[in-house]
Amino acid sequence: MTNQNSAVHPVSDTQSGPCLDPQSLARLQELDPDGHNKLVERVIDAYLKSLDKLVPELAKARQTPPDFNVMRHVCHTLKSSSASLGALQLSERCAEIEQMVRNGQTDGIESRLDLMLEGLVEVQQALTTLLKSQQ
Amino acid sequence: MNPAGPALDLDLPMQPKVLLVDDDEVNLLLTSNALRQRNFEVTVAHSGTAALAMLAADAPDIIVLDAMMPELDGFETCRRLREMPGFESTPVLMLTGLDDEASINHAYQVGATDFFVKTPQWSLLAGRLRYLLRSSRTRIELERSKAKLARAQDLARMGSFEWQAQRGFHLAAEALRVFGRGPHERLDFIGVMRMVPHEERVIFLRLLRDVIAHNSVLVTDLSVTLVDGRHRVVHIEAEPEFNEHGNANGYTGVMQDVTDRRQAEDRIRQLAHFDALTGLPNRRQLIWRVERAIEQARRGNHEVGLLLIDLDRFKIINDTLGHTAGDELLIEVGRRLRSCVRHSDQVTEGMLETIGGHSHRSLEAVGRLGGDEFVALLPEITDERDAERVADRVLEALREPIFISGQECFVTASVGIAIYPRDGLTMADLLRNSDVAMYAVKSQGRNAAALYTPMLAGQGREKLELESALHKALERGEIVLHYQPKIDVRAARMVGAEALMRWKRGGKLVPPGDFIPLAEETGLIVPLSEWALKEAARQAKLWQLNFGFADSIAVNLPSRMFERSDLVEHIHHCVSAYGVPHRAIQLEITENNLMKDLQNVIPALHRLNEVGVEISIDDFGTGYSSLAYLTTLPISEVKIDRTFVRDLGITPQSSAVVTAIIALARAMGLRVIAEGVETLRQMDVLHRLGCSLMQGFLFSKPLPPEEVEQWLAQTVLPRKAPWIARADADPAGEISGGIVLDELSNGSPRPLGSRR
Repeated sequence: MTNQNSAVHPVSDTQSGPCLDPQSLARLQELDPDGHNKLVERVIDAYLKSLDKLVPELAKARQTPPDFNVMRHVCHTLKSSSASLGALQLSERCAEIEQMVRNGQTDGIESRLDLMLEGLVEVQQALTTLLKSQQ
Repeated sequence: MNPAGPALDLDLPMQPKVLLVDDDEVNLLLTSNALRQRNFEVTVAHSGTAALAMLAADAPDIIVLDAMMPELDGFETCRRLREMPGFESTPVLMLTGLDDEASINHAYQVGATDFFVKTPQWSLLAGRLRYLLRSSRTRIELERSKAKLARAQDLARMGSFEWQAQRGFHLAAEALRVFGRGPHERLDFIGVMRMVPHEERVIFLRLLRDVIAHNSVLVTDLSVTLVDGRHRVVHIEAEPEFNEHGNANGYTGVMQDVTDRRQAEDRIRQLAHFDALTGLPNRRQLIWRVERAIEQARRGNHEVGLLLIDLDRFKIINDTLGHTAGDELLIEVGRRLRSCVRHSDQVTEGMLETIGGHSHRSLEAVGRLGGDEFVALLPEITDERDAERVADRVLEALREPIFISGQECFVTASVGIAIYPRDGLTMADLLRNSDVAMYAVKSQGRNAAALYTPMLAGQGREKLELESALHKALERGEIVLHYQPKIDVRAARMVGAEALMRWKRGGKLVPPGDFIPLAEETGLIVPLSEWALKEAARQAKLWQLNFGFADSIAVNLPSRMFERSDLVEHIHHCVSAYGVPHRAIQLEITENNLMKDLQNVIPALHRLNEVGVEISIDDFGTGYSSLAYLTTLPISEVKIDRTFVRDLGITPQSSAVVTAIIALARAMGLRVIAEGVETLRQMDVLHRLGCSLMQGFLFSKPLPPEEVEQWLAQTVLPRKAPWIARADADPAGEISGGIVLDELSNGSPRPLGSRR
């Protein structure tokens, strides 16, 4: 369950940055212990690519009139995929927004979204760094 | 975290196929990797629509659906896939959020097998999938097994039922089907009982009470009438069930429609116990019934009647119309006979035991013993008159003609009656004695009924012994010929002899009347007659040598001998063998025999006549000869029957008849001889009427051949007998006969009464 088990390219705190949970990353790495499948790179790549689609979708949904369903769906997706990559704080923020939409509680949702997007940028940068270090 | 060992999953495919549906690429990548690592074969789909399309191509063992997807979400995908044939019971795991209770409920509503919260704890997911696969497999197997059972029960027309104190009576769908009801129809115990005929229901409920009282196993058959009117037989087997305290609290069992089997069994029983031609009880069944009837009669102290019904001359019908017609006739006779009694086709042991009282009445029946023999069993009669009444009904029922292959047939029967216990205590005794009575009817002219009496039995036994002895008599040399001389009273000399058969049996002579009819009945008459012809020829030769006998010896033949094509040859052999002429043998046939078979006899008569064998008509005047025929027949002699001779000089009719016969014979150029002449008075009258040839005790009784020689030597030649003296004293006899004839030819015969 520890990093010592990983044979190659151990993911360290310094590489991942403070926004990524090392334990989650370790679990991720366990899925491809010897790195043959380049799973970590592919997952990060897939995550970053999904952002290319999800971020514009979210931006569009925030225009008038706002599309809460799209907001909810984007947050739902980001919630689980971010958690998978160890972006636990981001995942929590997404969950919070998703819950708010589901409850019809739209007041203050804009600021939450902004906050979430800020975190997202951080995670995006951290993952890009991690990806480079893996390659 | 360690992948599950294969040992745990022996009952699952080595690599279960998983279809993973999620719109999120990250999740798909992670989950599919995690599952592959744990020995699953994973296919991924990025949307519900893509997943449904992939299902059509390759069926996974299990499907994992993300609940939240754009467009077609997980719920809708699940709902749709459940509608696809073949995916009704594929396990579907819905991935939902932990905090999302509504989604969880929704998942079950659309047919998901289970839900799972998304987690990076992959082992948990893999474990859950394996669990679902196992339970799904178990469920499929259960369903298959249920389906197999249902199908097997369906094929066997069988279904289960329960009957419990609390829950009442419950029939499984298959059991409902046994009773012709749909799977959702209601049918309670009373409903079932309503389908059972009253009598049987009473018996069944009694049995049921008994079974329940003893907590024993219920095994029985029940007849039911379904709503559509079909009759079925349902076999029921049930065992008691016990609760935790060991107390019986109900029954579980199966019921099966065994109608077909029962019908097959009935058919077998039918074949074993009923006559295939008439459908009546056969010999075996009759024996069974009679034995039961005797048992019941012994207990109830009443009488049983057994009627043996034998068709008269059935063989003739069979021989002339053919066996098919004979069979048709038997069927019709069977039908008529059965209407003469309260015939019951079906009798079962059970019925006799359970119903009691007058149940033995159901034994009453007409059955076929075989051939043309039928039996009517009357299980209870008040007295013999009851049996006689049924016998009369039988005779009456046959009086109407039966149409067989376009022909009208008249059939009569001879009925012998035996009564239990008077005429026998066993089936065998009753049957034998009814047979004796039936034979008595046959011998007395048929078409009647007779009760058995011990006297008849004596006769029957005697007859049987006689028959077997007669068979051996010829070879043992017990049959001899005696000869009665034929006399010409004018010259007082012997002009021939009639050979008469005698049976020397154990030092006694059996009278011809006691064995000739039996010989005719059994066919022994043929060898006897042939022997007689040969013996007569031999005797003629002997007498020729001893005293110059040149006349003929008359042998009596039954008409059936004349029908034999080899008769002429046989006679030829006989006379040739002893070197005597054909005319040494004369044949006598009775008038009745001759007339009965006239057409068949005439050709033989002609041929015999041609070779010189003369024919004499015996017992003339007793039958109904057609005078027209007589004129055309090649006969040489008529013998006036002894009954007319006996009454000569006593009743005027006799002399009138004798006169007429003599006149007729004269006109036709036939010889006339009178037999049975016992007194001088008879002789005188005959002589006066114009008949001088005679035979009878007056002259000599039938004698053994050597005694005939003695008689000739000691009586005739010395002219010592009274009749010789009389003949010598009345030479005018011939003239007086002439007078009578003249009177007749005048066309004015004397009134019959005038001679008195």
